[in-house]
Amino acid sequence: MPKSRIELRFGGTGGQGLVLSAKLLADALALEGRHVAQSQTYEPTSRGGFCNADLVVAAGEVDYPLPVAFDHLVLLDKIAVKPSWPRLKDGALVIADSRLCPELPDGSMRRCHFPLNRTAIELGSERVTNIVALGVLIEMTGLCKRASVEKVIRASSPRGFLDLNMDALAAGYDLAKAPVAAAAS
Amino acid sequence: MNAIDRSHAKPAAKLLSGNAACAQGALDAGCTFFAGYPITPSSEIAERLSVLLPKAGGVFIQMEDEIAAMAAVVGASMGGVKALTATSGPGFSLKQENIGYAAGAEIPCVVVNVMRGGPSTGMPTRPSQADIYQTRYGSHGDYPIIVLAPASAREIYDETIRAFDLAEICRTPVILLYDQVIAQSSETVALGGRAPVHATRKWASGPRESYKPYAADADGVPPMPRPGDGYRTHTTGLTHSESGFPSQDPETVTRNLGRLYAKLDHFRDLIDSYEAVRCEDAEVVIVAIGISARAARRAVDACRAEGHKVGLFRPITLWPFPEIALREATQHAKAILVPELNIGQLRLEIERQLRDRRVEGLHLISGEPITPAQIAAAATKLATEV
Repeated sequence: MPKSRIELRFGGTGGQGLVLSAKLLADALALEGRHVAQSQTYEPTSRGGFCNADLVVAAGEVDYPLPVAFDHLVLLDKIAVKPSWPRLKDGALVIADSRLCPELPDGSMRRCHFPLNRTAIELGSERVTNIVALGVLIEMTGLCKRASVEKVIRASSPRGFLDLNMDALAAGYDLAKAPVAAAAS
Repeated sequence: MNAIDRSHAKPAAKLLSGNAACAQGALDAGCTFFAGYPITPSSEIAERLSVLLPKAGGVFIQMEDEIAAMAAVVGASMGGVKALTATSGPGFSLKQENIGYAAGAEIPCVVVNVMRGGPSTGMPTRPSQADIYQTRYGSHGDYPIIVLAPASAREIYDETIRAFDLAEICRTPVILLYDQVIAQSSETVALGGRAPVHATRKWASGPRESYKPYAADADGVPPMPRPGDGYRTHTTGLTHSESGFPSQDPETVTRNLGRLYAKLDHFRDLIDSYEAVRCEDAEVVIVAIGISARAARRAVDACRAEGHKVGLFRPITLWPFPEIALREATQHAKAILVPELNIGQLRLEIERQLRDRRVEGLHLISGEPITPAQIAAAATKLATEV
């Protein structure tokens, strides 16, 4: 049985596709009949500044749509650490980019570093860092079936981005098989 | 009006933001005209309708500013169609002159105001609930108006349809008021199979010679002339007689303004809407709207689990305030808690309504939403004190 309520965040900086990742995951969960609420906070600039995209997953109707304490946190920029860290649950999973978010505070969480950004660049575009991260998250947590998120990405990818997105997702699955524990800072 | 038939709804849940739900509700209510000027955090309504309205045979216009957008909506409605505009704080301020015009000239229309931090440009991407009085008293002069305050994507859909119904039935502008969190959060919503409610406008009929555009029926609402039907009419922002022409005759002016208020009183059963959760035995009743009410709903459960008799009263119709329902919901309450994202607005109305009761506010103006834990702590404190 899935947990009754799961809360997670994609945190980083504006323009990284954090909201897109959260929406893709939300759509995949909705496809599986789960109740979700997806929210975001961003700065009034089109690029840069702290940005987060949050997701609440519940078995029934979501009473309060905002997260209270995170089960999972994906970090694509160091700017997101400070506002997100105090809201992590004990034992929460933290997935951080090795280059963009190299230092993580200590704590009882499971802290993992991955070369998300580097992998995306090697695939051909930094812009799919968010999709690599999504692949890692899904593989490590089993939040939704691979087939569900793949269906959603197929349905929503712009022409010319589908193959790249699917490659990025698959690269994320592969990365997740060998998580690297983050060093204490 | 609250009893919307959902019996044949087939849940095919999909992810919908509050703003997307508003756009869909407008379409399903038969809205065929939108004029607006984009502003965060309301822009998704315009964005969606710019695609969907033309496909449905309607008209979408991006105007040069919010003043013109409101004027276009008033004109479109006089032209016989259901019309909508959507904006946020600064844009809502600009629309006020023409909202007053629509109230005075009795032009049905729906105006969405998505609340963000203010004053002025303020915090475009952060929530606020500080336009509670601007929706009611934002335009000059005395005038009544209806304001609906939904708290979820699903409710925004339903209340958008109801806003159009009430606008047409009461011949008045209706404001739909919700905050940035509710507007831009997406929730799984099942809209499948629901037949939308349509209120049709009461058109002028009978002999054209004796038609008076502001001669009201017993319900206080004058039938509107449908363009092309041949009824002579005159519309003005000046105070006017039944003929529609300007008048400053004291008796005429007094009677006409009195009728504007009386017509909303006449339809209060349709207008009033609220949700009362566990108020029957509540010693502390939380009164809240929007995202604060969503947090309060969770706080009620947390307080009850600790043995505190706490309930929630949530006005869905904000203005006219459902005061009879509030009194009923608070009959056993020794204290009232009003959590809101402003420095104390809804609290003023509750204090006015419940003068013999202890009313405490929980006000947050930081641009962050109030959390369930903050509300639960305040409610618990009150419950143990009273």
